Amino acid sequence: MGNLTVIMTDVEGKVHRIGNLDEGRNLMETAKANGVAGIYGDCGGGCACATCHVYVDEQWWAKVGEPDDIEGAMLDMVADVQRPNSRLGCQIRMRPELDGLSVTVAPSSAA
Amino acid sequence: MTTGTAAKPALTAEEARLLHEASLRDYDIQAHPHDYYRAMRKGDRVHFDERLGSWLVSRHEDILSVQADPITFSVNMGYHTQQARGMREEFQAILERDGGGYFPDAIMSDPPYHTRIRKLMENAFTAHRVKELEPRIREEVVDLLEKVADRGAADAVTEIAVPLTIRVIVEQLGLDHGMEAQISRWSQAVVAQISSMQSRETMLENAKLICDLQNYLIGKMKEREKAPREDMISDIVHARIAMDDGTTETLTFAEAVSLVRALMIAGNDTTATAIGNLFLLLATRPEVAATLDACVEDDRRLTRFVEELLRVEPPVRALSRMTSREAVLGGTTIPAHAHMLLVYGSANDQDEVFPDPRKFDMDRHNLGRHVSFGGGVHRCVGLSLARMEVKVMAREIARRMADIKLAIAPGDIRYVPTVATRTIEHLPITFTRRQG
Repeated sequence: MGNLTVIMTDVEGKVHRIGNLDEGRNLMETAKANGVAGIYGDCGGGCACATCHVYVDEQWWAKVGEPDDIEGAMLDMVADVQRPNSRLGCQIRMRPELDGLSVTVAPSSAA
Repeated sequence: MTTGTAAKPALTAEEARLLHEASLRDYDIQAHPHDYYRAMRKGDRVHFDERLGSWLVSRHEDILSVQADPITFSVNMGYHTQQARGMREEFQAILERDGGGYFPDAIMSDPPYHTRIRKLMENAFTAHRVKELEPRIREEVVDLLEKVADRGAADAVTEIAVPLTIRVIVEQLGLDHGMEAQISRWSQAVVAQISSMQSRETMLENAKLICDLQNYLIGKMKEREKAPREDMISDIVHARIAMDDGTTETLTFAEAVSLVRALMIAGNDTTATAIGNLFLLLATRPEVAATLDACVEDDRRLTRFVEELLRVEPPVRALSRMTSREAVLGGTTIPAHAHMLLVYGSANDQDEVFPDPRKFDMDRHNLGRHVSFGGGVHRCVGLSLARMEVKVMAREIARRMADIKLAIAPGDIRYVPTVATRTIEHLPITFTRRQG
């Protein structure tokens, strides 16, 4: 059991503080395991469906970083709800400098 | 049947006639379905197609509801009920006698069993892994297009679309080159099992082909069991499934055969259909050809082009579910153990979701809402590979071919008779070779 924490605000406004995360765990899997509404992860973490779309809170953006081209193309499919701080949860893996990371779940294309 | 309270929009006389008389079993409806889809969406959104014996789910929001509840709406029961519909016992007996066994599709199952099987397949098809395949896919695309480029004429389906997708899956699975024509026939035989259009005679012919296919795949699997290689058959034969308690399990032989078979079929027929549709649009809609020309060297834009192609002409028209209990959907009560089809082609054509839906508009802001790949836990697992094959093909067509035109009258285009896909059988085209 790891010692990293993420704070996720789901599509219903509920705040989930999820601790004891291992390094390497991605946000999509974490959210699904903890019942975070609005995260579906249909493609299983393959960066192929945009159903784990999150907005990264501003103070964390520099540490989380920009999406790569493949992820950027997938976010482009949900341009109606895309923002400058959009990322796919499956592509954000927990690491020590992201301890305490805070994100908000975006409206899903699957609902 | 419908107990919804919202007032329904008035149907035209033609829409009322279609709802009353038409069936997705009618070839003319399969080939030209959009008016029928609209009539359902307006007048009877969850429509019982009597001649088919299935409930057709026509609206986008209802399809999302079904996809979100894979326990009430069972793929396992839906898919296997539709297989060799009406002749299932005989079909199964033939495979048991001559085909090494009857192997239910392990991926066409329900959670929690499905979750474990699915995890095995997901790692092979991430967008990042598929990106690494792009150069190899491009080589195959260029080879096929160069074979016909100077001729100025080709059958875009049988000479380009089908060979490409089969070559890709032959390489990924580690099958034998030279088997492409045979694999194409086998694939069609498997896909025909969910067509709801087979006569007993065609079922018997197809069952024999499927026996040959299974015997071939089982032979390959036995080879890889002893001597693994860098291919997906080896991966599946030697796969370990992680269990919740931390232990691992292997696949049963029946599961492994069904997964190899599923990879072979799912990976080629639908993607070939998409490429056939691409050629049809380029040949018949000049604005689509101009749109492609304008975005061909911009990868992000080209990705959008492909996604709009998949929305406007979804290869898979409809896939099955079955109610595991009585359920209410869109105001309609569906009894337990009722067969359903999620009509993706209709949902993608719904103007409240995609305004002016027949227009090819790759700048739609909500492209990701199309349901051509299904959704929920059963969303197509090979979607990145399919997108990549279509994208590379679109790019190389635009670089080589101009003035693509149909070499037959549009009315002479024939579609494969099936409720499951909308697949062009042959597409003779002419074109000029682009210089430079």
